[in-house]
Amino acid sequence: MSTKEQNERIELLQGTLDLLILRTLVRGPVHGHDIVKQIQFNSDDVLQVEQGSLYPALHRLIKRGWISAEEGTSQNNRRAKFYRLTAKGRKQLTIETSKWDKLAGAIARILRPSEQESK
Amino acid sequence: MWWRRRRILEDLDSEIREHLELEILDNIDRGMSPEEARYAALQKFGNVTQIKEETRAVWTFVRLEQLLHDFRLALRSLRKSPGFAITVVMILALGIAANVIVFGVLQGVVLRTLNVPHPEQVMTLQPRSGVPFISHPEMRDVRDGNTAFSAVAAWRPNDCGIEANGATRSAWVSQVSGQYFEVMGIKPLLGRLLERADDAHPGASNGAVLSWTEWKNNFGADPHVVGTTIRINKYPYTVVGVTPEGFKGTEKVGEFAAFVPMANQATLDGFDWLESRKTHAFFSIVRLKQGVSLTQAQAELDTIAARIAREYPNDEDGLALKLARPGLLGDFFGGPIRAFLAGVMGLAGIVLLAACANLGGLFAARTADRSREIAIRMSIGSSRWRVVRQILVEAVVISLFGAAAACVLAWSALSGLAAWEPPGSLPLRFPVTPDPSLILFAFAISLVAAVVFGMMPLKQIFKTDPNDVIKSRGIQFPAGRRWAFRDLLLAVQIALCFVTVTAAFVSLRGLQKSFSMDLGFNPQNAIRTEFDLGKAGYARDAATDQLQRQLLERVSQFPGVEAAGYSHTTPLDLSGSRVSIFAQETTDFRPSQKAFESFYYRVSPGYLAAAGMPLIAGRDVSFADTTETPKVAIVNEEFARRLFRSERAVGRYFKTGAGLPIQIVGVMADGKQDQLSEDPSPALFFPISQNGDTKTVLVIRTHRDTTEIVGAIRGAIRDLDPGVPITASGPWQSQLAMVLLPSQVAAAALGVFGAFGLLLSIAGTFGLASYTVSKRLRELSLRVALGAGAKEILSVALGRMMVVLGIGSLAGIALGVGASRLLAIIVYDATAQDPFVLAAVGLTTVVTGLIAVAGPVKRVLHVDPANLLRQQ
Repeated sequence: MSTKEQNERIELLQGTLDLLILRTLVRGPVHGHDIVKQIQFNSDDVLQVEQGSLYPALHRLIKRGWISAEEGTSQNNRRAKFYRLTAKGRKQLTIETSKWDKLAGAIARILRPSEQESK
Repeated sequence: MWWRRRRILEDLDSEIREHLELEILDNIDRGMSPEEARYAALQKFGNVTQIKEETRAVWTFVRLEQLLHDFRLALRSLRKSPGFAITVVMILALGIAANVIVFGVLQGVVLRTLNVPHPEQVMTLQPRSGVPFISHPEMRDVRDGNTAFSAVAAWRPNDCGIEANGATRSAWVSQVSGQYFEVMGIKPLLGRLLERADDAHPGASNGAVLSWTEWKNNFGADPHVVGTTIRINKYPYTVVGVTPEGFKGTEKVGEFAAFVPMANQATLDGFDWLESRKTHAFFSIVRLKQGVSLTQAQAELDTIAARIAREYPNDEDGLALKLARPGLLGDFFGGPIRAFLAGVMGLAGIVLLAACANLGGLFAARTADRSREIAIRMSIGSSRWRVVRQILVEAVVISLFGAAAACVLAWSALSGLAAWEPPGSLPLRFPVTPDPSLILFAFAISLVAAVVFGMMPLKQIFKTDPNDVIKSRGIQFPAGRRWAFRDLLLAVQIALCFVTVTAAFVSLRGLQKSFSMDLGFNPQNAIRTEFDLGKAGYARDAATDQLQRQLLERVSQFPGVEAAGYSHTTPLDLSGSRVSIFAQETTDFRPSQKAFESFYYRVSPGYLAAAGMPLIAGRDVSFADTTETPKVAIVNEEFARRLFRSERAVGRYFKTGAGLPIQIVGVMADGKQDQLSEDPSPALFFPISQNGDTKTVLVIRTHRDTTEIVGAIRGAIRDLDPGVPITASGPWQSQLAMVLLPSQVAAAALGVFGAFGLLLSIAGTFGLASYTVSKRLRELSLRVALGAGAKEILSVALGRMMVVLGIGSLAGIALGVGASRLLAIIVYDATAQDPFVLAAVGLTTVVTGLIAVAGPVKRVLHVDPANLLRQQ
């Protein structure tokens, strides 16, 4: 199977999938299967998405108006649905990213206080 | 939003399929076999159905949508089995309708309060025992001596002749004392109501207040009616006001045309009773002061009653008054009516319960049949709760249809009852016009019922293991091996149904007996004509006597008249008069010294013969008995037995409160006086020539055609005085209908419940029997194949069913016999120990059982093993 060992894989945190989807769509429209593939690839296969959960997440984002869906053709020349970041979604991505940075920073400070002091 | 959602969701299925295919391709690229690749892709994706649900859930209030979906599914599955649907809806509709109708009557007759402000403060005074009347001076003493009541009034209904716009009609008028409308606390629609000044002294006022109904129906809702003159029993009255719509006086089942001051009582009754302490002829009505409790008021009332008794020992000895809820002749009929309605409500509840047990059984059987479908749904990811909800929704859908059908049934029944005018001259109306709140009631009980019977199959569902079910062929409920919940349900249901059946038979038997009982008089071939000369301005004097005698002479000469006579009242006409009887040697005429009370009649010569009352000893009264000759009377055997412990009474004496000895000149047979269900009561017949009365009931015995003779009688009365309004004239038999009414109502109500109970028990037994047989068809076929005979097969297939049926019906009959003691209050001679009733119920049980299991038995007997083997 893939390169990483089973125990090094991490289940996604609740809510982070939305952020990752938005980030994945920055480079242009992507279809469903490619989104999970890219997330896994870009995280060196550390992040494991239960692939099915992608779809409720996509629909949540569409409902909020952050992404839109359009028809397109996949690599193997089949009709497929492509998801594209909207202007609103792009703005949201910035917000969400900075939120995430703050959160990650905060958690890091809590977990490694000594390192912070030694810097 | 909607269009967007639909477009996106439409593609969801294909999108997921696409996703999985891509993943499989990727996996193959990674070197997996196609099988492995597919398996890995599906595992990585998760539960497809669940993901789809979740995705849809993003767009909707998913619960609502699922519920809607469940509803649609329920409707579809009911449409697929219309027989089942119609059966259950009908069963439920009848069960609910029974409850709604009874509740409607209960609401109208018992629960609904008087239509006046603060009805909870309005009470009536009545003696602690006996009829709910007090005397006018008693009312006055309470009125003037209390601190607990803000107003105290008396009223008395009178059947009067009202003359307005050139026509005389017979109508009910209420004479009311000065504070009556203060007790009511209502505002007039037009003009003013009667006040204290109107009742200050006789002749103080000739003002009359019309009721809204009267004003609407007979005065064309004339806005200028105030000031017009009408005549009541020939006396002129001026209309001073109209009561507001919805005010019907203080009786729930009666309505009055007009209200007049009580000070004019003598002109209405032809006899002055206002100062008589012995004439207990008045209803009372009081309003409690704000903040005074019933206990406080009752305590004060006790003190006042004791004081009155002390002050007037001769008349008021032992006076005790109590406060009671007004509305049903004070509280006189309150007890029996409430008991009867509570009993019927109980029966209606039983019917509904039985219906629920029935539907529960059907539902359980249906769920068992659908076990495969349910197992499949669970194995593809449906939660148990979802399945349960589906069943419950189906139950609710059925019960909603049931409730709607029940409302239609109940509406027509109650409207019919509300519009019905009971026979007889009493102003009876049943205030049971259906109220919209009944719809709520219907739907509320339908939902409760749905939950009750919908819950019954739940255990089955929770025990279902999809694997087992799909491996085998349906849930193998051990039909026939263990006692199941269903059997218990059936037994309970049959027991409940037979309670209603027994009650129905008891009341029908009572009714049948009351038709053939000995009344002590013979209403067949008798024409009864009732009128009151008081309504035409006559008093108890020579003019009255003369007119009555002239009329008797004329009708006696009609061809075909076998006997004729008149009395001031006749037995069983609901207005029986009573008098206290004292022994001859008594000199102390206080009420407590009386020997007993007797019904009395003022009769003319010939009346006893015309009424078919057999004289046993002595002579009839005669016009030769006058006020100048010694007082005489005829008594019945019960009277003689009570006073002399012997039926030989002719020539002996007794006294009434007046103190004069009265000689008994005749003895006659006992008969019914007031009610069909009464024990023999004493009765007394005075010659009307010694005790005149304007109330006249002419009885003619003849075999001639009714219409012809009634026409002739009316003509004769018109010839003598065209101003006499005739209250009723026709066959005595039909005028007695009112007396039979309680029995008839009871028999009708209970008969309907009984029939319904029977239907339910047949349906329930049939349903379960066919279900058992069809579930065990395989086993039974095997038995037949192995050589079992018809008898064995039957006992195996339906033996236990019969045990259930037997136990259930025996328990039901036992309960029914116990319950019918209650019935004895209403229905003449109602007893369940009657061999006829027991035989009828027993026979019904057997016949019901046979009808119900006939189909399944036939099926069992025609089991063909070859057929089954072919199907396998």
